[in-house]
Amino acid sequence: MHKKVRYPFILFIISLLSIVGLAGCSDAGTNDAVKDTKNEAAGEPVTSGTLEVAIASDPDTIDWMYTGATVTRDVGWHIFETLFALDKDFATKPMIAEGFETNDEGTVYTIKLRDDVKFHNGSVVTADDVVASLERWRKVSAVGGIAGNYIEDVKVISDVELEIKLNEPYSSLLADMSAPKQALMIIPAEIAEEAGEQPLVPEQLIGTGPYQFEKWERGNEILLTRFDDYAAREETDWGGLTGEKIAYYEELKFLIVKDPQVRVNGLKTGLYDYAENISPDLYEVLESTPNIDLVTYMNGYSTVIFDKSEAPFDDLKVRQALNHALDKKTIAAATYGNEQFYSFDGALFVPEQTALYSDKGFDQYLAFDQEKAKSLLEASNYNGEPITIMYSNNSENYKKISQIAKQQLEEVGFQVKLDPYEWATYLERWQDPANWDLVVVGWSTRFSPNELGMLGLGTASSGWYDSEQWADSVARWGVVETEEQKKEVLTEMNQIVNDELPFLKVANETRLDIKSNKITYDSWLGQRHWNTWKNE
Amino acid sequence: MLQYTIRRLLSLVPVMLIVSIIVFMIVHLTPGNPAFLILGEDASAESVAQLEQQLGLDKPIVVQFFDWLKNIVTGDLGQSVYSSEQVKTIIASHIGPTFSVTLLAIFIILLIAIPVALFAVWQRKTLLDPIFISVSLLGVSIPEFWFAMLLVLGFAVTIPIFPVAGYIPFAEGWFEWLYHLILPAFVLAAVEIGLVARMLRDGMLEAVNQDYTRTARAKGIRESVVLMKHVFSNALIPTATVIGVMIAGLLGGAIIIETMFTIPGMGSLLIDSIHRRDYPVIQGVILFIAAIYVLVNLCVDLLYAFLDPRIRYD
Repeated sequence: MHKKVRYPFILFIISLLSIVGLAGCSDAGTNDAVKDTKNEAAGEPVTSGTLEVAIASDPDTIDWMYTGATVTRDVGWHIFETLFALDKDFATKPMIAEGFETNDEGTVYTIKLRDDVKFHNGSVVTADDVVASLERWRKVSAVGGIAGNYIEDVKVISDVELEIKLNEPYSSLLADMSAPKQALMIIPAEIAEEAGEQPLVPEQLIGTGPYQFEKWERGNEILLTRFDDYAAREETDWGGLTGEKIAYYEELKFLIVKDPQVRVNGLKTGLYDYAENISPDLYEVLESTPNIDLVTYMNGYSTVIFDKSEAPFDDLKVRQALNHALDKKTIAAATYGNEQFYSFDGALFVPEQTALYSDKGFDQYLAFDQEKAKSLLEASNYNGEPITIMYSNNSENYKKISQIAKQQLEEVGFQVKLDPYEWATYLERWQDPANWDLVVVGWSTRFSPNELGMLGLGTASSGWYDSEQWADSVARWGVVETEEQKKEVLTEMNQIVNDELPFLKVANETRLDIKSNKITYDSWLGQRHWNTWKNE
Repeated sequence: MLQYTIRRLLSLVPVMLIVSIIVFMIVHLTPGNPAFLILGEDASAESVAQLEQQLGLDKPIVVQFFDWLKNIVTGDLGQSVYSSEQVKTIIASHIGPTFSVTLLAIFIILLIAIPVALFAVWQRKTLLDPIFISVSLLGVSIPEFWFAMLLVLGFAVTIPIFPVAGYIPFAEGWFEWLYHLILPAFVLAAVEIGLVARMLRDGMLEAVNQDYTRTARAKGIRESVVLMKHVFSNALIPTATVIGVMIAGLLGGAIIIETMFTIPGMGSLLIDSIHRRDYPVIQGVILFIAAIYVLVNLCVDLLYAFLDPRIRYD
């Protein structure tokens, strides 16, 4: 007796299901209800609210001195500050320091501190805190270790003054002290001593930055709150990591969202205000999405590193053959897709880093020539043994580069085997030359020749690079005095890499983040959430 | 009954011991090293060696195993390599989200599967039966991640009714808690509803033509009462087994769903710890999951005696 109603009911269910299905397939960008004008005028700053930021991974620690990880840096520099810091043009400017003086030989630096800078625990920054932080930096930071080799003695002169005595002139001291990677962040002396060579635990995350650490639910969120006693500098035009910093938000919430699609969907629906690390493949789609703005910034470059400790790549000719065999333009176009996200430049630093960039010394950077590759290979010691390209399959980019490189290398006579690993396994296998001949990997932006991990002499990360010329050049970098000398050394460094080919640079990379169009934001490098606000 | 329970609880000990040996072996034989991961790709060999020493990873593996086992026996699961938090504390902070989503999923499953199965048995001679079979088969075969993406696109992005992701603890408001959990719980449930409904239906169809059912009908009892009282209750035992295994599985953490909806539960804890080679946490979580399996199965076995008075454990 129910038969009459049954079939319409089933039809209804089926049609409902298909509507859901179709809705799911349709282009989400056509939703007109949320249409907003793009690049809305900045308007008056709004001093309130919570900024919700979706970050792609949970940091291992927020100790910005301890690790060079990008995610640590991006959270850390809201909490901590350095004595000197990079401005928007990547030049060194004072931050916690008021200024400095050197003697004529450049072996004694007298640094004066600003006297009103407060830590988040209420105490005022004194020279003792700086000395203790400096001591810890020399021990736990790779950059600090290098600078530390030149430091003979650090002395407190008064509460706001200290003196660093060097054993020989070292002109990159200030640059190293302002490097935003394993940075010389200033923390209270007792914390620096207590932590020693261990990473800071959450209770020890006390800095001088515009935001202070509140809580960290691992795997879920990191919460920072505005530091009301923050002593801002006055320079409004410095930008970067120094000058005036104003914390407009009451709270800064970093939410750990691993799935890239969720980061995009969350931003579209207003769940997040800012989301990092978005695939450039989505560029066109996102550009036309009404409530989303794109944020792009430089992010280092991709490389191919040779294992130079054994055959075949201990032979320069084989390395040169490989350089001629690779068509980097094809590789980059296929890997990064949109031209906005890669550029070709053979220098060790990127052009935006004006103080570190030299545009000379890399004539072999784009030397694609298959015939030449073949003849070089012929004349080399290479005898057809298979070479292993190792890469991490966590990164789509380096996977693509490896795959295309394999094809191009085989065209000139190399035998190639691809060896992908998950990141942790890959890092471990990297340490043993028996495991690989070539590694394809990217390097985040570096701020000093001392930080170029792919050129660290005798290390696994550089493929056991051994070069007197490079060592001399790095030593000379320590004593350059004028801008001209600097450029000279930088050109020379480019030239050494060009001639000795310890690694191949593929292309400069640009990273894509996205933000809500309600946020007024100024892109530089990484994400900085001071001097930015949310318009209502 | 009590004796049986105690005996079963004691059997936990060898099971856990075997699990811990296997887990320890697998975890430590997997390549990768937390020291490299923490220090990054351009770490120096000295700093790696120093960190390994700090973490106790430089000791022989047998020594590491017995150190760990000794602590386990005293109830100490150790410390995370990363956060130096106690593994116990870490597990405790991740069990809430997983428990919430499991609870809600089971509720949805029972809410839908029981009436649907009853209806299907009631209408067993009509066209509804083959439709029921196909739909339930479809439910079981839907890939979780695909269904989750579809639901998110449909009901969170295109028609923004639900949030795309996130988790709010119950303590911060029951409504927000429920609101954030509906989509993930529904996805988890969708896959299992078909299975549970099928189990129930098959069990009921078996009972529907039994002598006692016919007798009940002959006594003039209404069909709906016959179905509820005589047929349904007899189909509960196999269904309880299925639901038991399901609950154990869900409590162990649903890795895909927790990742897609950014729920900080056991599943995402486990996968994160594996990527980071956080040995103590991986070992602790797997031991915990093993214990849940054993305990839930014990509960199901005890439930049998309640569902079917003929079953005795003495």
